[in-house]
Amino acid sequence: MSVLVWLAIILFILMVVIGGQKGVRSFIALFFNFVILIISILFMADPSIDPIIVTLIATTILSCINLFYINEINIKTKTAFISTMATIIALLLFIIFMTESAMIQGFSEEQIEEIKGFSVYLGVDFVKIAASVIIMSTIGAITDVAISISSPMREIYRHNPDISQKSLYQSGVSIGKDILGTSTNTLFFAFFGGYMALLIWFMDLNYSFGEIVNSKIFSGEMVTILAAGIGVALVIPITSWVTALVLMKAGAKEEEKEE
Amino acid sequence: MRRNSVTQFITRKRIALYILTFLLVVGSFWFVHNNHEFYERSIAEIVEVETVQSEEVTDPHGNEDQLVTQRLEGVIQNGEAKGSVIQLDNEYAASQAYDHEYSVGNDLFVSIDTANEDGHLTGSILDVKRDHYTLLIAWAFVFILLLVGQRQGFYSVISLAINALIIALALDFYIQTANISLLVISGVSIVLFTVISLLLVNGNNEKTYAAIAATLLGTLFLFAVTSFVMWGTAGEGLRYEEMQFVTRAPEMVFMAGVLIGALGAIMDVAITMSSSLFNLYEKNSNISNKALRKSGMDIGKDIMGTMTNILFFVYISGSIPMIILYLKNSAALGFTLNMNLTLELARALAGGIGIVVTIPIGVYLTIFFINRKRARV
Repeated sequence: MSVLVWLAIILFILMVVIGGQKGVRSFIALFFNFVILIISILFMADPSIDPIIVTLIATTILSCINLFYINEINIKTKTAFISTMATIIALLLFIIFMTESAMIQGFSEEQIEEIKGFSVYLGVDFVKIAASVIIMSTIGAITDVAISISSPMREIYRHNPDISQKSLYQSGVSIGKDILGTSTNTLFFAFFGGYMALLIWFMDLNYSFGEIVNSKIFSGEMVTILAAGIGVALVIPITSWVTALVLMKAGAKEEEKEE
Repeated sequence: MRRNSVTQFITRKRIALYILTFLLVVGSFWFVHNNHEFYERSIAEIVEVETVQSEEVTDPHGNEDQLVTQRLEGVIQNGEAKGSVIQLDNEYAASQAYDHEYSVGNDLFVSIDTANEDGHLTGSILDVKRDHYTLLIAWAFVFILLLVGQRQGFYSVISLAINALIIALALDFYIQTANISLLVISGVSIVLFTVISLLLVNGNNEKTYAAIAATLLGTLFLFAVTSFVMWGTAGEGLRYEEMQFVTRAPEMVFMAGVLIGALGAIMDVAITMSSSLFNLYEKNSNISNKALRKSGMDIGKDIMGTMTNILFFVYISGSIPMIILYLKNSAALGFTLNMNLTLELARALAGGIGIVVTIPIGVYLTIFFINRKRARV
């Protein structure tokens, strides 16, 4: 059997043994994510459909899976979902601007050996694809931060129902501050693990600093890492604000019902 | 009186910090917009763009695109030919998979050929000058982190900078000394990364020691499992030949990538476990080991799915352009995925194993550290 099958089996067993029911669901969610990603790539390859629209629909479905299926539908996951989507839309505008102006789309001259023999006149807008790639690679981290903030905020509200919206918001932000460092760290190492080969390659081929910094591939990777970091930071105040607002509204409703 | 002077000192320090930051930002932007002389390659700023020709093309696979030819006029910004006008031709497809549409104001690296009969220079385009965009997003990142995270944001930026520096130094050391294995260097770097990042983000305390121990053990377990699987299957199904940018033994580079890639997530899990368990212990120092173990495992169940997802999306998304290239060139879906995703999937699955296994490791190690503290009290 191949390496992939073995690794998948080991991961599945570990998730079941350690996570029980929830572990099974986490593993199935991983599989769903893979399927959704492949389907959205098939749509992106169609020139008549805007890749950005595909990305927005795909991220909606993916965050539904990761929030509502792994956890369940409740006020915590709902506010995490709204905040994730709001962050992605805000981030998307900035990312489209960056990919258009820095020209980091498509393939670089370092990849010429690999794409030799392929036609590159494909009619698909690769600038938008580049923006989609960045958004897709951050979606996991953004939903993670959103749920890590909305969930303890719900607990704080339950223990202190008289808390003001402002101090609820502030406690959300302060939870966010504590996880900001580890979240950016997680993303940073994940990306660098993937870029190891590239960095060694640059050094082996004696690229000068100026050549590395301006090359399409390096700039592209830097923009991706930093945009992902910006997303993880932005989702903190957005989630705190949305969750504080929704909890306050929901709390007010419950009081009305009691009356 | 004294307090007054202290606050005055703090505000003065703060104002000085703001001014320093402002100067750094302005100075760095000024530098990247005026650093042309530092580059050996000639740089031309585009001042005029004319579209000469535009035609519909259809490739052998039936993909329709628009092929456009531009005539550009640029002014050389550096070197001997500084100030002279250069004429450049550029052809691009509307999809811009490999080429670019240039517009007025772009800075391009060019090679200068000869002067034509009008006395104008001609040449060809080598690359785009992108340093100012990288700088722009780097500052945006730093400012958003500082605005949202303040002191913690500052520590995060510092810790990322130190880690980037360690990676650069470690790789440089690896390139210079031919006979040290990449895995040894990665191992040493992993210890450094873990100790420095966790100390910086979390402070010098027992929580951090438990997290460091759990991270290192979790990573070691990940290494053992992945190498055992790769040895047992002789790497079957891994398409190293499709690995990009390889100048060294691909298995080594792949393995180092797996370990470093999962390290951040493993640290995240380890610190989550140790700080939440220590928190429970501090709130109620009589809490039983059994209760701690139960809470720890419950928290672990909650985070393992989302943590595995983070790695999954980071690794898989990068392959999207290449997959589209294959598919649009009439490659079968199965073949395309097999060629482009096996390594990424293996990385994501292996990372997931590291994340999940760190949960019980973190729980037991933290309980061990808590008991040590109990024995001392």
